[in-house]
Amino acid sequence: MEHANYAASALSVPLLLALSAFAVLLLPLFIKALRGTQGLIALSAVLAALTFSRLAPQVGLSLFSGALLINPASSYLWIFALCVLALVISLSVSRAPVREESGGEYYFLLIMSTLGLMVLMAAGDLFTAFIALELLSLPLYALAGIRRTRPGLEAAYKYFMLGAFGSALTVMGIALLNSIYPGLSFGELKTVTPDPLALAGFLLVISGFAFKTALVPFHMWVPDAYEGAPTQISAFMGAAVKAGGVVILWRLYGLFDGGPVREIFWWLAVITVVTANLMALGQKGLKRLLAYSSVAHAGYLAVAFFGGTRGFEAVLYYLPVYAMATIGAFAVALALEKGDKGPLIDDLAGLARTRPWLAAAMSSFMFSLAGVPPLAGFFAKFYAFAGAVSAGYTGLVVIAVIMSAVSVYYYLKVTVVMYMKPAAGESDSEPLGSLGFVIGLMAAGVILAGIFSRPLLVLAAEASRWF
Amino acid sequence: MEILINPLSLLVILPAAAGLALLAVPRENSGALKGVTLTATLLTLLVSFKLYAGFSPAETGMQFQLNLPWLPSYGINYFIGIDGVSLLLIMLTALLMPVAVLASFSYIKEAQRGYYVCLLFLQTSMIGVFAALDLFLFYLFWEGMLIPMYFLIGVWGGPRRIYAALKFFIYTMAGSVLMLAAILWVVSAHHAVTGAWTFSIPALYEGALTPAAQFWLFAAFALAFAVKVPLFPFHTWLPDAHVEAPTAGSVLLAGVLLKMGVYGYMRLAVPLFPAAAAVFAPWLAALGVVGIIYGSLVAWSQRDMKKMVAYSSVAHMGVIVLGIMCLEPAAVSGAVLQMVNHGLSTGALFLLVGVLYERRHTRMIEDYGGLAKVMPGFAAVFMIVTLSSIGLPGLNGFVGEALILFGSFRVYPWLAAAAVSGVILSAVYMLGMYQEVVFGPVRHAENKALPDLNAREWLYLLPILALIVLIGVCPNPVLRRAETAVNVYIDLAHRAAPPAVRK
Repeated sequence: MEHANYAASALSVPLLLALSAFAVLLLPLFIKALRGTQGLIALSAVLAALTFSRLAPQVGLSLFSGALLINPASSYLWIFALCVLALVISLSVSRAPVREESGGEYYFLLIMSTLGLMVLMAAGDLFTAFIALELLSLPLYALAGIRRTRPGLEAAYKYFMLGAFGSALTVMGIALLNSIYPGLSFGELKTVTPDPLALAGFLLVISGFAFKTALVPFHMWVPDAYEGAPTQISAFMGAAVKAGGVVILWRLYGLFDGGPVREIFWWLAVITVVTANLMALGQKGLKRLLAYSSVAHAGYLAVAFFGGTRGFEAVLYYLPVYAMATIGAFAVALALEKGDKGPLIDDLAGLARTRPWLAAAMSSFMFSLAGVPPLAGFFAKFYAFAGAVSAGYTGLVVIAVIMSAVSVYYYLKVTVVMYMKPAAGESDSEPLGSLGFVIGLMAAGVILAGIFSRPLLVLAAEASRWF
Repeated sequence: MEILINPLSLLVILPAAAGLALLAVPRENSGALKGVTLTATLLTLLVSFKLYAGFSPAETGMQFQLNLPWLPSYGINYFIGIDGVSLLLIMLTALLMPVAVLASFSYIKEAQRGYYVCLLFLQTSMIGVFAALDLFLFYLFWEGMLIPMYFLIGVWGGPRRIYAALKFFIYTMAGSVLMLAAILWVVSAHHAVTGAWTFSIPALYEGALTPAAQFWLFAAFALAFAVKVPLFPFHTWLPDAHVEAPTAGSVLLAGVLLKMGVYGYMRLAVPLFPAAAAVFAPWLAALGVVGIIYGSLVAWSQRDMKKMVAYSSVAHMGVIVLGIMCLEPAAVSGAVLQMVNHGLSTGALFLLVGVLYERRHTRMIEDYGGLAKVMPGFAAVFMIVTLSSIGLPGLNGFVGEALILFGSFRVYPWLAAAAVSGVILSAVYMLGMYQEVVFGPVRHAENKALPDLNAREWLYLLPILALIVLIGVCPNPVLRRAETAVNVYIDLAHRAAPPAVRK
């Protein structure tokens, strides 16, 4: 009985979200007074959903014959997804990504995409995961091009083509696996040693989800999509979409105790951290830089996998910490944005003089992404690498730490421009408004979440046990 | 509350808290900014006196310990405590800090609030490094120091400041990340043997690592510390950073930051991996000696005073590394004393160069000459500091260098002989510079009206001068405080190879 209550209250969150998505889309059509307030409606709906979601009691429920797994892990991730959504909506409210007269489709798509993400995070079998992946991705393709400008459409097109390719791989892999394991649930997949056909299936599925997580060599869409999409959506892609991919990859990784699949993960991690960090060195656009940084961080997350349960605990800590720094950095990009393309790194010149607090916040995001103590990013990397070393993967960690030393160069470049170069011209300081609130919140997060990481770490540890 | 009652913990936290408080001061109010910063650093100095008074030299364990759980699932604690060596280095930091602040009053005119905030955060991380007894905490302070120093060099530095700041940051970071991997390895190995997660340094001393594992771990730690010391050939960041940094930055770099590398060898690399240390020690000592000769020769050829002092630092640090790698009581005690001496005399040299630079905006030796006539007070102070730096008997530098050389003759006679030549060279170039700058006719008309040291400059130079003379005449209080710690260090380093327990 208690379980049924809990299941009902847990499911009320996605239902509420779906309801609010349609409300945002349809209500303003009928009630003229509500036009232009779609963002606020969406924000309040998400906040309401957040109050409904609670950390689960220590039970795991399997709903809809195993399609959804509701447990502390899923509620941890759901709350994370809702928080990211709330922040992205706040960004969109303070700087409208689309023209005022357009309807609520922007928020509708955003919420639908989050819904897909939540289902993906709780998926109990591969087929549900695939459907959730599509629900996550399709709105995003549209969102990437929602401004209908050239770079936006280019981003949407590239994202869609490569994303569809990734989905096709996934479906192909699932089909192969389905011929061998009819149930497709993660529990069932775990019990066996794969024959060649199943192995091929696994590899295809892993490739498909590696697209979403943006592991090299499946990252080609990332720079263009991040650059061309509205900055709010880039933040959403970096913070939330990656998390969904990571969760499924972890599930797949956890199916194997060794063998070729683990080796493939090893190579994926190595190639990703090396390539992404080297490619990032030459970037001139801030959003492109953040895109490559997001790929690099996907690599660090893959390194953390090798720590086993302790590693996944680190991943669960890493995701919100990374999300805070990324959302913050994109919010700064948004504040400085003029026109359709994001600001160049050089456009930040003299920011320390003209807007000192903005520059200070931006440097806290950069130092956190670079993993310099005492910021939260350092703690996240430390936990991620600690697990892998104690599991015996010291070589992998050595490569990762060396590349993270390389990454320092491009993150520092941003602070150099802000603090050590004179401003190019006089800047029109548009007041930040609620954007400033989000930036301040994120900056406080990356500064404090490291030194005071105990509460979050405890939650992450509890959640990681349920995977 | 214990975190504030323990004087050591208070020392760590006070500067950072003052730095945060400073953010609330309006940025135009330069007087208040300076006042708050100076008060905070003086308070820190006061607390450090309390530490000095309460320290009992005979005790072998760590004193003023505080051990609070922080991240229990990883066995990470807020664990601090000091022995004689850390006490002396903390005292040095606490003393140089108000000096650096006073020296910045007229030098720093732009973005003052940020500057003083950086200084205060820097102080917290410097003291933290010397106080930490938890490996994670140590690394946190060790790396955390990079951010404020990076801004100090990059924002308030000289013309090539961006290059220097980036080089400083990336060199140090690249040196340290492998240490992070090594730390994780040490801790996991300890966990594999004992089943407990701990980052406590004293507990890890008991670790049982195979000599092969120790070799790589020592190499990773040694690289991080070698960059920081800096040992030849990892020193190339230092001249750039020193020359471009503002005076206070140079003083703290030379006075404190370089000591962190040596301290790392003494606290971590050697005691944690004694078997590997036995293999590496002669090589590190040899690198130290190469640094002495190379640093001296390069310093000799410099025409920029700040660069000359920077390269002389490379040479002096080489002597210190030779001392600690001898693992012999006299040499190690001398090295500890010399760390303090180098902090005082090189710090003072940078201050004096800064004094000249503020008046004439040049650091070239040929732009000066005959300063004895126009700035007699300056010439006198400069004389004492120069003599201290080259190790004249009766001043502090002599005692330290003599102890190191005597001690090392017993262990590495050839290296010690080579090191002596460096000491002689240092006399040549330092006295040469002094002569050109201070004696002779006043060659440049601009120099005729240079004002002598003002009250504020006297105020921050006098304590250093007093200590230079005091330690030179009576080094015993310093040596006595270091003695126990030095013996513990040597015992730890000479432990027989631990039983072969595979990781």
